[in-house]
Amino acid sequence: MKQLYSATAIALCIGSSAFAEGKLNLYVWSESIAPELIEKFSQENDVEVSVDGYTSNEDLLTKLQAGASGYDIAAPSQHFLRIMIDEGLIQNFGANKLAAYDAIDERWRNQWWDETQEYSIPVAYGTAGFAINTNEYDGPTDSLKYFFEPDSELSGKIAMLSYPDEVVGAAQLYLGVPFCSENPDEMKRVLDLLMAQKEHVAAYSSDNIAGRLSSGEVTAHFWWDGEVVKAKAGGAPVDYAMTKEGIVGWIDSLVIPNGAPNRENAIKFIEFMSTPENATTQMNFYAHSSPVKVIESEMKYTAENAPALFPDVPVEMSRTCSPAAQDLVTRVWTQLLQ
Amino acid sequence: MTDLSADNRTQGPKRKVNLPYLGLLPAWVIMGFALILPIFIIAAVSVSTRGAYGGFDWGVDFAGYRQIIFNEGWSGEMEFTPQYLLIILRTILLAGVTTGICLLLAVPVAYWIASQPGNRKSILVFLVTLPFWMSMILRVYAWMIILGRGGPLPRFLEIFGAQEGLSLMYNDGATLAAMVYTYIPLMVLPVFASIEKLDGTLIEAAHDLYGNRWTTLRRVILPLTAPGIVSGAILVFVPALGAVLEPILMGGGKQMMMGSLIQLQFGGGRNWPFGAAIAMTLLIVVMLVLIVIALRSAQKDREV
Repeated sequence: MKQLYSATAIALCIGSSAFAEGKLNLYVWSESIAPELIEKFSQENDVEVSVDGYTSNEDLLTKLQAGASGYDIAAPSQHFLRIMIDEGLIQNFGANKLAAYDAIDERWRNQWWDETQEYSIPVAYGTAGFAINTNEYDGPTDSLKYFFEPDSELSGKIAMLSYPDEVVGAAQLYLGVPFCSENPDEMKRVLDLLMAQKEHVAAYSSDNIAGRLSSGEVTAHFWWDGEVVKAKAGGAPVDYAMTKEGIVGWIDSLVIPNGAPNRENAIKFIEFMSTPENATTQMNFYAHSSPVKVIESEMKYTAENAPALFPDVPVEMSRTCSPAAQDLVTRVWTQLLQ
Repeated sequence: MTDLSADNRTQGPKRKVNLPYLGLLPAWVIMGFALILPIFIIAAVSVSTRGAYGGFDWGVDFAGYRQIIFNEGWSGEMEFTPQYLLIILRTILLAGVTTGICLLLAVPVAYWIASQPGNRKSILVFLVTLPFWMSMILRVYAWMIILGRGGPLPRFLEIFGAQEGLSLMYNDGATLAAMVYTYIPLMVLPVFASIEKLDGTLIEAAHDLYGNRWTTLRRVILPLTAPGIVSGAILVFVPALGAVLEPILMGGGKQMMMGSLIQLQFGGGRNWPFGAAIAMTLLIVVMLVLIVIALRSAQKDREV
């Protein structure tokens, strides 16, 4: 094994003084992994860990498609994980034989994004829906109706994201249109709904959401559950709407890209992230739910103080759309903002 | 100051005949790889076929360009779709208006700075460039605070009876304010440089020949400072065409600009060839404008 490592190291990085066995390159969502865990893993295993961040699944996919990214770990969301398996961009590392596999909550095991659970171990899951400023609004929030067809109180005080993905998904949940519909008539209804909503919308922006919502610039904002929880824990007057039509969900999993130079360290890291102790630290940092077992007594966010992380309404995971369906989504979005 | 710059002009560069271009080779290589090659790659992507999940496959297919004008309608038939043209026109309009406002504000400012005594002049020029030392995003965020609810400007207006909780954000005016603020130094500096070179005796001569202030401005000052104004206008117009941040953060992103449209196609839209086709269209529009300006100024030179 040692020889193999040395050979690989020499082959891969002639001129580099460090040996490959002491390295691990992460490419994960920006600021998504608890820094203290990186530090701990680095010390326990004598491994130099480098962390690069991305802010969209498309960025990650593009990089992996370009080949030889040099990364050992990536964390795609479920629909992109499916694409990466289908396109042969990530390794089968026998995830279902690891200890980490047994730690996965039954609900998130062997799902459509990785039926055999050989390619991935989930690390975080959450939802996207409407957040409200509780100082400005105390009306009902239990239906998407109040946000897509707002009355005078919320009119002009709503903000949506600047990208279609989750917004179109929420509109589809409200209308009962299936995700990734290839039916133009159904998608036309989605467009009509969003067009009618537009006159009540102040902004379509994914930046500075916390500032916009907590300052009262807008009263309702499409947002991520964990961000709401973090803002609320920091004292902002915000809350997350549990809409009975459902909320759009996502789950990020740790995977190993093809050609990862430090495969063994990557597997070690995945096992490391899935121990109850570390998973708890991770959840307390990231404020998104953990799909693997955690130590409940040490959880910072619980059903009592952070109900947003424990939805009691249906959670519908975003799907991998065909190009035809994706084109309809893009068409809805461009016509909405034309 | 006038004498000094005239000196520089007459001196000219010393010509060395031996190996005139070889010494520039590193610069050419860097230019070629960093500037020209990427443009060819974008051109190639714009005529490729799209990959199912983003990316592209090499090929020759003009679907990307066709899509700018014709698309499948909701009834499933190909039809004329003005939405992308609208976005392109709106972007050009926004960049044009930004350039116009910058020009109107920059010429008097530059003139005033140029008329100051030497020491103060350098300080003022330094102050104009000062905002460049800060990240552009931060400057836009500063404007969000100024115009946003509870910010200084709405507070000020509330004193004069504006409705409480007023916000001046999320409209075209807010977008323009941030755009003008961001790009105006690029206009002030070249205009200042050309006004500074202006020969004061020519203005005196214009007055001696009974030219009033307006005539002097129109017939003497403006033609002589035209090169500075034109390069300032180009420096503002071109980056303003690609503005993404201001329309989204200040304008609320309710109407798409070309920058966000391209971003959408390369990102969630997963249609790289179309995104590249729009980018190429933008490039061609800019090049046409620049060529027209260059031709016109060349013509003027010949007339003179």
